[in-house]
Amino acid sequence: MTAPILEIQDLSFSYDGATEKIFSHLNLKVEEGEFLLVKGPSGKGKSTLLRLICRLQQPRSGIIRYRSRDITQIAPSTLRSSISFVAQIPRMIDASVKENLLLPFSFEANKAKSAPSDHSLSQMLRNFYLESVPLTHSAMKLSIGQMQRLAIMRAILLQPDILLLDEPTSALDPESAGMVFSLIERLNTNEGKTLITVTHSDYVPQAPRAAVYRLHERTLHQEK
Amino acid sequence: MNQIIDISNWQLLLGLLFILLAQISSFVFHLGLNRDIAIGTVRTFAQLFLMGFVLTYILETERMLLVVGVFLVMVVSAIFIIKGRVAEKQVSYLLPTFLTMLVSYFATAMFVSGLIIGSSPWWEPRYFLPAGGMVIGNSMSALAISLERFFRDLRQQRDQIEMQLSLGAGYREASAEIFRNSVKAGMIPSINAMMGVGLVFIPGMMSGQILAGIDPMIAIRYQIVVMLMLVGATALSSVTIMLLIRKRCFGSGEELLLTSS
Repeated sequence: MTAPILEIQDLSFSYDGATEKIFSHLNLKVEEGEFLLVKGPSGKGKSTLLRLICRLQQPRSGIIRYRSRDITQIAPSTLRSSISFVAQIPRMIDASVKENLLLPFSFEANKAKSAPSDHSLSQMLRNFYLESVPLTHSAMKLSIGQMQRLAIMRAILLQPDILLLDEPTSALDPESAGMVFSLIERLNTNEGKTLITVTHSDYVPQAPRAAVYRLHERTLHQEK
Repeated sequence: MNQIIDISNWQLLLGLLFILLAQISSFVFHLGLNRDIAIGTVRTFAQLFLMGFVLTYILETERMLLVVGVFLVMVVSAIFIIKGRVAEKQVSYLLPTFLTMLVSYFATAMFVSGLIIGSSPWWEPRYFLPAGGMVIGNSMSALAISLERFFRDLRQQRDQIEMQLSLGAGYREASAEIFRNSVKAGMIPSINAMMGVGLVFIPGMMSGQILAGIDPMIAIRYQIVVMLMLVGATALSSVTIMLLIRKRCFGSGEELLLTSS
């Protein structure tokens, strides 16, 4: 039996100065290629869970392992090249769509990865329902829905092992949200990407290996 | 012609008419500055008279430790002024700032006094202390501007920084632009001063020397050295302090520690 790609053991977390814990003795195992959907009301720590996995925040206690290695023993930039996090509100630099997509390849940790050609980028834009957006277009002029898809595409270009998506549809209209959800499912079913998505919406994934968890009483419970 | 005209106590008090003017402006237009102007005036008289007495003694001294001690007091005072201007609670920046100021300003003042002016010994108080004082006074403002800008921009651009960190950027890469802009913000006033000197304004030190009867051609040489020294010292101290402080703004996972509250 292979080891899980991600394992969380006995995780506890509370914000600085807060007495109440956000998580207490939280445990989770994620197999490679699995699609996890974490649900729960706002403010209960769904985003924090993702941020802890990619070390944008530090746990009070407990261990998070990526491919059996304690993530605190992995260089942060190397870890984040393998576990990509897409924030709830997508952020772009004030430059063209192409410059935004190639931004990660300018970082030292990603220098060994080969940047995609313009042709591949245009092809991917089509797959991400962005065929009407030229590579030279200013990213700041995109709608929030287009930015969200572009942000997911940018994270995917790095070929991460795990993709963490924080409320990817919360700011979108139903049509854009539908596009993003179908995109997420395709990444899992067609490309075998390991996905952890947090949401407070009623969305139920159709992906065959999808597992739905609910954040309740400071820990995760799998829904049958 | 070369006789220096002394300013008597009565003449000095006449200068208070300028303060009266400022107080009236504040009163009439409700600027709320009356108290600050009053305190500032008293402090100007008290601090400068005290400095005059101290300098009269120090300038005659042959004790290096005393001169270095005065320099140390000036740096410590500067740190308290920076602390008052940079309201940062989450990152402890005072000790690295103090050490940076001490080392870089001491090296600059020593270089100017001992090597460029060629005083012997290098700590000759007549040269070392004014050079040190000008470096501390000017560069202190530059440091405060840089630090203030750096902390503010890190907070305001937190989402942008985290976006880059999430895509594999190191903390240096994610904060590179903020780093550059903060150092530049601190350096621009001293560079601008080089642009305007002699055209837009006559610098204080040069004016002082000319009033004291020094040949203007000698005064300008001193002033040129001072201008160059200020730009160099500002660059050295701003870059060093930013390098030291930046690391403290990020945690062991290179996560940004500064929060908006």
